[in-house]
Amino acid sequence: MINIIRSLILTFIGLGPLAILSIIFIITMTAGLGPDSGIAIYIGDYIINSESLADAGDDFEDVSAYIFKFFRDLNISLLFLTVIMTMGWSVGSHYLNIDAPGKAKIYFIHWAIFTAIFSGLVFAITFYFTQSTAYQAQQFLTGSGKTQIVLGSLVFYVLMYYAGVLLGTARFARSSVLLANKLPGGF
Amino acid sequence: MKNFIIGIGGTGAKCLEHLLHCCSAGLGPKNLWAGMVDQDEANGNVSRTKILLSKYMNLRTSLRNEAGHDLAKDSNLFKTHITANNDAVWLPLKGADPTLEEVIHYELLKPEVKGLMDCLYDPDELKQNLSEGFRARPNIGAAAMLATTANEDDPFWSQVYKAIDAARGGEEVRVFIISSIFGGTGASGFPNIARRIKQIQKEKNVTSNFHLGGALMLPYFNYEVPEENMEGELYAKPEEFLDQTKGALQYYAKLFEYDKIFDQVYVTGWDPLTKLPNFKMGGNLQNNPPLFPELYAALGALKFFSADNKISDTQEIFHIGKNESNEILWSDIPNVSNNLNSKDNISNLIRFAFSYNWMYGPALTGSWSKIKKYENENWFKRLIFKNTYNNDTKACEVGHEQNQEVILSMQEYCQDVLTWITDMQYSTIANTDQKMDLIISDFFSEFAAKNTSTRVTIKEKLNAAEKNQFNTLINDSKNLKLLNIMSNICYKKINRDQKGLGVFMDILFRSCEQ
Repeated sequence: MINIIRSLILTFIGLGPLAILSIIFIITMTAGLGPDSGIAIYIGDYIINSESLADAGDDFEDVSAYIFKFFRDLNISLLFLTVIMTMGWSVGSHYLNIDAPGKAKIYFIHWAIFTAIFSGLVFAITFYFTQSTAYQAQQFLTGSGKTQIVLGSLVFYVLMYYAGVLLGTARFARSSVLLANKLPGGF
Repeated sequence: MKNFIIGIGGTGAKCLEHLLHCCSAGLGPKNLWAGMVDQDEANGNVSRTKILLSKYMNLRTSLRNEAGHDLAKDSNLFKTHITANNDAVWLPLKGADPTLEEVIHYELLKPEVKGLMDCLYDPDELKQNLSEGFRARPNIGAAAMLATTANEDDPFWSQVYKAIDAARGGEEVRVFIISSIFGGTGASGFPNIARRIKQIQKEKNVTSNFHLGGALMLPYFNYEVPEENMEGELYAKPEEFLDQTKGALQYYAKLFEYDKIFDQVYVTGWDPLTKLPNFKMGGNLQNNPPLFPELYAALGALKFFSADNKISDTQEIFHIGKNESNEILWSDIPNVSNNLNSKDNISNLIRFAFSYNWMYGPALTGSWSKIKKYENENWFKRLIFKNTYNNDTKACEVGHEQNQEVILSMQEYCQDVLTWITDMQYSTIANTDQKMDLIISDFFSEFAAKNTSTRVTIKEKLNAAEKNQFNTLINDSKNLKLLNIMSNICYKKINRDQKGLGVFMDILFRSCEQ
């Protein structure tokens, strides 16, 4: 049990830097942003379709609440999924049947499948958010904005997950995670 | 504290075999000198123990070397520093094919003494070749033992003298003798060697710090003697064991009543008697299996040596026995002391032997080109690579000859452990109604009772299903899986004093703890 707790601590250390960025982003989205802030300008310029907003007689300020709620909910979902999946792998790695020298490598395929499932879920969630009519903000997003959101989220959260499993995987299962076996033996 | 153990005869040697395994499991004292007494030098039982003793001492020397591989002093693996003479076996009668007639110089005796000898020994006994022991004739053995002088120049007796001198110097010394009560060498050696030791103690005027203990094995096995080719032969007749025992017990009752020879005596036997399928009069073919009652004698010796064992002024006699049922359980194995749980340590050693022999030993055997495939695995990095890395050559030297020697010796020893426990389990209950399931061994071994030289064959390789049965190896409600061992070796803390392969060996041993 103590080894699992140790793994979980390392998982949180791995998740930490990117998770903190994600949490700050969520808090920012919840609190709302001024029209002059960098993020708001970026969203206005590259994510939403300002011309169609103008045609409808609206401007960014009128729809910002919908946009911020969209980003907040999307990131909460993705962060939650990432933390759960990373913890799941880290804990689960202690139960992989690695009972002999050389056997950990076999489980690389398990990790690859697990990672693919995770990536698929991240993609599915972002895709759902950007396509679903449940969020009004979706109608203001440009095609390129949607692509940026999907790809950006995928890269960011997969990276966060990878950092978590890299550190959190059971020591004896490290050969099943890409490059994890390069970590020092005593770590 | 200095400890000395003397195994007399075939039974004494076999008890020593159990004791050596218990010592490697961490049940022994800090130091121990071990010696054997047997006229039948080529005896299979004695040879087996001699080889095991030598393996133990060599492995321990290799793994307790501060400049090389070091398990460190806190490790339980091979905890006891065992020493022995160059030849661990003392032959009471020297020379080729000695006979009692020669030993007592029968031809030179006065007629009246000759007449007395004729009354005590029949002509066959006087002329019997004693190079294969005393053939269950304690009367021959006693005369032969008494006829030999216990002088200080003899390597065996010099150890006894040293022990008594150490006691005189203020150091606590404990000497323990193990033998059977019903054989030839053992039955004659036990009282005579004990009395001789006491006599030396008296001569040296040592009144304190010296303690003598003994384990007497009452009948615990028998065998069927083939009818053909036995006419005129002197040999141990199983039907005489009980009568011999009765006579011997009466003798000891009298001896102990008037003279305090021993401080503690441990007595054990077995009912029903284990039936050995092979009868051999002596020599290298007499290679009897290790039997459970002998473990009692070994544990009695270890209890005697335990620092927790306070020896009183009165002579104490302990009877060791198992539960009333026909089933032999782990709970029938007594603890050495309050701090030393026999079951825990022995089962730990068995698990270690299994996991080393089939899982880790093979992975570490061979040249670096074969071993390096594990170099990125955590257990290998932590326990092997780092500790066998040569900073001068910038290479991991686990594949080097001197390291491979240790790795292979340990594998050989692990096979001995598995053979010992398997043989004991099968042989103790063979042809009786008893049941003994201390371990499940059928998936990794084959047993052929009639094959004296190799009763137990340990499988060279196990398939995945067989390896998975590791969690049922020790017959217990809770058990470790090989996965747990792998996990443990990656997380157990390394002792700062450990070095070389000692790190891996100790961590693996500790990882097998329940």
